[in-house]
Amino acid sequence: MKTSQNFTIIYILLAVAQMVICNYFRISPYIYVTILPAMVLCIPLKAGTPAAMLAAFGTGISVDLLAEGVLGLNTLALVPVALIRFPVLKMLMGTEMQEKNYRLTMRSAGIWKMLMAAVICNALFLAVYVIADGAGARPFWFNAIRFGASLVCDSILALLVIHVLNPEER
Amino acid sequence: MAGNGKILKAILNAAIFIALEIAALSMLQSNGTLQSTWVLKGIHAFHAAVWGKTEEVKYYFSLKKENDRLAAENFALSQKLRHYLVSEAEKTDSSWTGEGGPVASGDSVYTGRYSYRQATISKISNNRQRNFIIIDKGSEDGVLPQSGLITGQGVIGIVDAVSRHYSYAISFKNAGMTVSARVGRTGPVGSLIWDGTSSNGAVLNEIPHHIAIERGDTVYTSGFSSIFPPDIPLGKVGDSRIVDGATYEIDVELFEDFRALRYVTIVRNTGREEIDSLVSQQEP
Repeated sequence: MKTSQNFTIIYILLAVAQMVICNYFRISPYIYVTILPAMVLCIPLKAGTPAAMLAAFGTGISVDLLAEGVLGLNTLALVPVALIRFPVLKMLMGTEMQEKNYRLTMRSAGIWKMLMAAVICNALFLAVYVIADGAGARPFWFNAIRFGASLVCDSILALLVIHVLNPEER
Repeated sequence: MAGNGKILKAILNAAIFIALEIAALSMLQSNGTLQSTWVLKGIHAFHAAVWGKTEEVKYYFSLKKENDRLAAENFALSQKLRHYLVSEAEKTDSSWTGEGGPVASGDSVYTGRYSYRQATISKISNNRQRNFIIIDKGSEDGVLPQSGLITGQGVIGIVDAVSRHYSYAISFKNAGMTVSARVGRTGPVGSLIWDGTSSNGAVLNEIPHHIAIERGDTVYTSGFSSIFPPDIPLGKVGDSRIVDGATYEIDVELFEDFRALRYVTIVRNTGREEIDSLVSQQEP
């Protein structure tokens, strides 16, 4: 129960952090810094996909409402991440995931598998986000650079977010 | 049972996903100018694709109707052309009495000595030595035995037996059937017969060997038969060889593809009985 409460509090704090990032940390037009896919990836597996999608929708809409941007943009990109989260983890972790109360941590999954999951989720999120944000008005090369640069940046950041949301048990 | 549970779960996930994405897209459309245009463009593209596909499916299922309409139109145009040709012949030929001029009667159209009627093939055989065709017109439609079956691209067969609603015809692709044919419109006349093997091959016999035949020349019906009218293109000349040192045997590549046949024209020589009785009077 305590773990669950801790997760919710940290999750909300990270959502606030994302709003702050959106409002104040604009490194470059080519990089969109986001920790939202990593946050959705860390939602406990026992919650199930429908709950994860609703949580992703809520998180996305909160960030859209409270940060500068177009309402619906993060929401649109984040819901697919919740949908593919379980299949991606199943593909990477295999049978380990079948265990009851499995918790996604660096120790349980391994850094490379975690990184791979983060890359896939970020790639999906950024693909939808960059295309929807560009709305057909930006050239392909701009979108491609934005996607690539953001993917590198956000995937590294995702490892930190996963570590914060699902700390190692000592 | 477990399988059903999985399917239900997948359907539920898909439904929630679609609902949430539609909600997100609606928000995006109403809040971003660029995104609004983009979403509308996407919706229009989706509509176009969906309606386009349904129209294609609808069109596919209406093809038979469309083919029937085109065949009827084609028949009407052929008739107009025949009328025109007969009228021209009347003008240029002073011996023409005009008695055989074009007259429409019911579904049949009389043009010169011949009457024409459109028919659809109900059944056709192509892979035998003695092939046949069944058409959807019978005695109630005025079809008589010994009428010819033609298209704009060749001779198809001869009606052999007639029932009330259908007629049985011997296909040109029949080892025993010959058609009087001519090389070019004014060239030598011979007998055209199916080669018995290929789907579009025939052999033209009895062409005198002193007449020069060019490869690629068109072969037409001669009009000497009491069944088929003259000048129906049949095929083009291919290889030729001299047989018994007297006549040419010429390979002919037929224009008509029997495998794709669906519509034919029934042609009847209105003077056939008169010709036959005249011949029988003169024969000993």
